Amino acid sequence: MADHKFLIHEKNDSVGVAIININEGDIAKGIFLTDNGSIEITAAASIPLGHKIALHPIKAGEFVIEYGEKIGRAFKDIAKGDLVHTHNLKSIHWIKK
Amino acid sequence: MSEKILAYKRENGNLGIRNYVAIIPVDDLSNNAAESVAKIIKGTIALSHPYGRLQFGEDLNLHFRTLIGNGANPNVAAAIIIGIEPNWAKKIADGIAKTGKPVAYFGIEGYGLLKTIERASRKAKEFVQFATAQEKIEANLSDLIISFKCGESDTTSGLAGNPTAGRVAERLTAEGGTVIMGETSETTGAEHILAQHFATKELSDKYLKIHRDYLKIIEDSGEDLLGSQPTEGNIAGGLTTIEEKALGNIQKAGRKEKVLIQSVLGLAEKPQTKGLHFMDSSSAAAEYITLMGAAGAVLHLFITGQGNIVGNPIIPVIKITANPKTVTEMSEHIDVDVSGILTNEINLDQAADKVLDALTAAARGQFTAAEVLGQQEFVLTRLYPSA
Repeated sequence: MADHKFLIHEKNDSVGVAIININEGDIAKGIFLTDNGSIEITAAASIPLGHKIALHPIKAGEFVIEYGEKIGRAFKDIAKGDLVHTHNLKSIHWIKK
Repeated sequence: MSEKILAYKRENGNLGIRNYVAIIPVDDLSNNAAESVAKIIKGTIALSHPYGRLQFGEDLNLHFRTLIGNGANPNVAAAIIIGIEPNWAKKIADGIAKTGKPVAYFGIEGYGLLKTIERASRKAKEFVQFATAQEKIEANLSDLIISFKCGESDTTSGLAGNPTAGRVAERLTAEGGTVIMGETSETTGAEHILAQHFATKELSDKYLKIHRDYLKIIEDSGEDLLGSQPTEGNIAGGLTTIEEKALGNIQKAGRKEKVLIQSVLGLAEKPQTKGLHFMDSSSAAAEYITLMGAAGAVLHLFITGQGNIVGNPIIPVIKITANPKTVTEMSEHIDVDVSGILTNEINLDQAADKVLDALTAAARGQFTAAEVLGQQEFVLTRLYPSA
């Protein structure tokens, strides 16, 4: 079994994707798909399999980056290691006028 | 690559990998007759659906195009059309007959249900004996039209499942294969990237225009797709926004250095050349695969995250997933497990090998999980309400 717990699509991404359930407080290793480089982050929340972990602090109003692209905008401050999902991230599209 | 398959060569030269006698109702009223024939005559399959009355304009054209296309599909050896009135039944039969395959049509009015079942059953018996006399020939996987779509996607789809499909698309098209992708709404937020995957600027502009038109329909309705895109299942799997879903979705197009999209197809439209094609289509799984059947696809690669269980009556659907939880919890639905990509146990090319093996096995005659389990969703796309 691999020792990494999350994967990161691109170098400038602000989130990684958990490949296994990560518990709050775990020191989790992440691998970049681009070059197999790795980082370690302490999980600030439980991150279930397939969910996203913040790689650095993200302020409310800032774009969240995955695949090297904008996947939406944070509407709350997000701490490093925190879960990034519908409670703090919203699409830039599909907004009623 | 030499994925040797066994296929039925139809009268028009197109290759199929299944050998159905399809009983196609024109309208909702004729489902009972079609299903009754399919119960009586072994080797037939009824393509029931709830529509076909008082449709008009482009919505009616799409209805005809979808039924004709599915009857003309090379996985169908012969077809019987049953309608409440004979004229529309004849129109569909005539469309299918252009392939050269045996077709017959029956109207219920003037005969009643019971006589219609008997007349159609006698013809169906003849057609099944015709179909089962056909012999398979050796061919290549790249001789087939294969469609791709993902469903109940999650983040593993974008990390591994869809990039694997992208590698499969690259390899099939490099060998002269034909692949169709689509799902217009699910490219939202990644359209600027997908636009770079078209063979010409005209095609790229055409795609961007249909995408813009699509967004305008939603905006003009005063609605948004929050709650639908992403779906509840997507969100449970970790996908948060349509942009994130779209960026994962478009991985199916492969790398643009390796393969480019050769045409933008309308609903149920058949590709005119080999290579990769994009159909302007809904992302709803059963509707999409039904449209692919009309476009001539004989095999479908379905990439799932949380475990969509869709199948189709005439197209074998191969399911792959990279989500280890889904592999365990939904095991009977999954044909290929590519979760090893997440743990670095296999790379994308090795995963593509596994998928090509599964596609080849299905194209040689092995039933897919969806076929064995009897998932046979046949769903017609509607453009607007009936008159």
